[in-house]
Amino acid sequence: MSATDTSEIVWRQYICRACGMIYDEKDGDPDSGIAPGTRFADIPEDWECPICGVRKSDFEPYVHSAPVAAPAAGVVHRSRTPGVVIVGAGIAGRAVAEALRALDSHVPITMVTSCSGDVYHKPELSIALQRGLTEAKLRKESGAHMAARLGVRLCAGTFAMGIDAARRRLRTTSGPLPYDHLVLAQGARPALPPVLPADLCWRVNDLDAWCGLAAHLDGAPRAILIVGAGLVGCELAEDFSRAGHKVTLLDKEDAPLAALLPPLAAERLRVRLEGLGVRFLGGITVERAERGNHGSAIVFTKTAHGEREVLGADILVAATGLATTSRLARSAGLAFERGIAVDPFSLRTSVDGISALGDCVSIAGAPCRFIEPISKQAEAIAHDLLGLPHAGYAHAAPVIRLKSRVLPVALHGLPHPDGAWRVISDDGAHLEMEQWHEGALRARLAA
Amino acid sequence: MTLAQLHPPAGPEAGNADTILSRATAIAAGPLRAAVNRIDHGHYPLEILAEFGAAGALGAHLARNGSQFGTALAAMGAASRVCGATGFLMWAHDVCGLYMEQSDNPALMGRMLEDHAAGRTFGGTALSNPMKALAEIEPMLLRARKTVGGYLVSGSLPWVSHIAPGQYCGAIARVHRDDGTPSHEIMFILRCDPPVELRPCPHFSGMEGTSTFGIRLDDYFVAEQDLVADPARPFIKRIRGAFILLQAGMAVGVIQGAVDSMREVEPALGHVNRHLSDRPDEIQAELDELTAHALLLAQTPFEQDPDYFLDVLDTRAQGAELALRATQSALLHQGARGYLMSSAPQRRIREAHFIAIVTPAIKHLRWEMARLSREEMPA
Repeated sequence: MSATDTSEIVWRQYICRACGMIYDEKDGDPDSGIAPGTRFADIPEDWECPICGVRKSDFEPYVHSAPVAAPAAGVVHRSRTPGVVIVGAGIAGRAVAEALRALDSHVPITMVTSCSGDVYHKPELSIALQRGLTEAKLRKESGAHMAARLGVRLCAGTFAMGIDAARRRLRTTSGPLPYDHLVLAQGARPALPPVLPADLCWRVNDLDAWCGLAAHLDGAPRAILIVGAGLVGCELAEDFSRAGHKVTLLDKEDAPLAALLPPLAAERLRVRLEGLGVRFLGGITVERAERGNHGSAIVFTKTAHGEREVLGADILVAATGLATTSRLARSAGLAFERGIAVDPFSLRTSVDGISALGDCVSIAGAPCRFIEPISKQAEAIAHDLLGLPHAGYAHAAPVIRLKSRVLPVALHGLPHPDGAWRVISDDGAHLEMEQWHEGALRARLAA
Repeated sequence: MTLAQLHPPAGPEAGNADTILSRATAIAAGPLRAAVNRIDHGHYPLEILAEFGAAGALGAHLARNGSQFGTALAAMGAASRVCGATGFLMWAHDVCGLYMEQSDNPALMGRMLEDHAAGRTFGGTALSNPMKALAEIEPMLLRARKTVGGYLVSGSLPWVSHIAPGQYCGAIARVHRDDGTPSHEIMFILRCDPPVELRPCPHFSGMEGTSTFGIRLDDYFVAEQDLVADPARPFIKRIRGAFILLQAGMAVGVIQGAVDSMREVEPALGHVNRHLSDRPDEIQAELDELTAHALLLAQTPFEQDPDYFLDVLDTRAQGAELALRATQSALLHQGARGYLMSSAPQRRIREAHFIAIVTPAIKHLRWEMARLSREEMPA
């Protein structure tokens, strides 16, 4: 360090590859006993991501240049050129706005979002209760403040209804918006099975929904039935249970996370969740659900052997996966395969002038709905739109992480459906497994 | 897509789409063009509507005529290209026929509907307020209570078009129980005979030939044979796509008329008009896409998929937005000659603004699209 810059301390940031949480050396992590001003290198090796529990080694430097003299905060006037219009103001939409602004202080950016545009970190929602997070704590920044900070025009409470790709116009519920480039970061919506009525069944996929549900959890312990024991279902089950609620977790598979984990690990997760008080019901499908007294839910279920059981709950939650709605993409004639099909390097869609990223896209026919790739996708799009050189996005299977305290799981790689799992080590407390298929290591599991 | 690509009409008695459309186009170019200024100043053109009826242009969309919604929409477009007010009357007439036919009420589906569809009798629609009420935009204005053999309806509607003494319209009232709490809604054919009071409206800036009145009802008796739907909500849900989609006929006609006006002055003014935006070729290209999409949607007017209804709302909104742009551009293209009180471009500006504000107005369409796009959650 030269003599001239010793007065200015350069704090570095590190990003969690699993959940996108940013460790800022300036702020530290006081909740975990890491004082503000602690260098990342000085953090003990057993420190964990405060949100998802990954280890220090799963963090990487967060290289994020400051905005180049962003326009003054306040009113952002309409520009003479339409610039970039971003549909969505979640993590993906914001990542693109930030990446663009870091590279170019002048390009006009408009963000269209159906919500308020308020900033929150979605991975926190499924672990919020056990961490004592309230709505106020979850909401990091108002949409208006974010818009002023980034120098973007925010169209909040606005739904994108259609795209006229030939004339580069986005039709919205606040009127048509011309664009030079359109970036779709619309996310994915909970895929609610037809047997679960939307007005009876909560889905936790955004802050507003979480707040609505949390308001019903305040006060007395509730009987909560969660349908679907995937990552979100398991995390919510643990979170609700730790907050004192009586949780039943139901899945059509015989064990939680059965689609992802080898039976040994899935079974261990079941035992640990049950140890926490979660009642797990496997091999069960829901036939229908109806409203009982005082807003409760009555759920009619059936086992694979045809045995029927009627379950009651104060609160019904579906964690049955996500799906990208296709209407907007269809209006522009975009190639769509379980998500908006994008080029794996440029993130361009099949139609000129439109790129997409995040939960709404599919790469080679497969959606990839994790936080880790988003900032890299945003960087690739920002460079592409501004015509700047960039190596492009390189897709790799992200680390899949179960944010659990009873059995934190980290899955590296992409398991093959026919692959064989083998135990590498298992001392009862820690389990390590590998999956091999056709002579190649496909996936590694630590639980 | 052109009309020739539409599904052929079903049934031997169904009118041929091309014949209906060529006859409608001839009526528009002949008697309607001759009467357009009179209509703009308040003439209610029932004699011309009767001609459209005789040509099959007021009943093409009915199931008995093969459910040719595309033909009905295109015929309305042909009229609106010349006179937006007449296009609006055709729409009001068409949806009134739709209410009767979809009612499953034999008293409304027989002779009454035949006369209506053929343009021998006339009636419109009073659903502006109820449609907004059902979309949670404003309160329901008509109240009903059950009585022996039907309902008693009271309340006022500010302006209802295509009605006159001896005519009728579709209407909706909210039924209240004895304790005053609302129970459901009924839809019925309101007969505009005494003692129903039709009150003259203030003058509007356009669409004066649409025979628009305020209606005041005081314990008006709705007999069971006049009921279109009880309850009304499932019925409205079934027909709302067709109701709104047919309005696109007004928009495509007015827009085409605007393009006509632009092209009309191209030989004389093209050298300066090239400095304008929204040139006729651009508007025409947008219009062709819009028309093709509307005709595609018109093939499945009762589709209940939520995305279909959003497409209908979006198409209707696009029609209104393009009508505003196209008619303004047409006036700019024509300059002073388009500003004359007798000129079509200035009249079309007023017609286009009507399309943009008549229920569902652009703002209502966007409200409804946003409302329907929100994820439903437990209360």
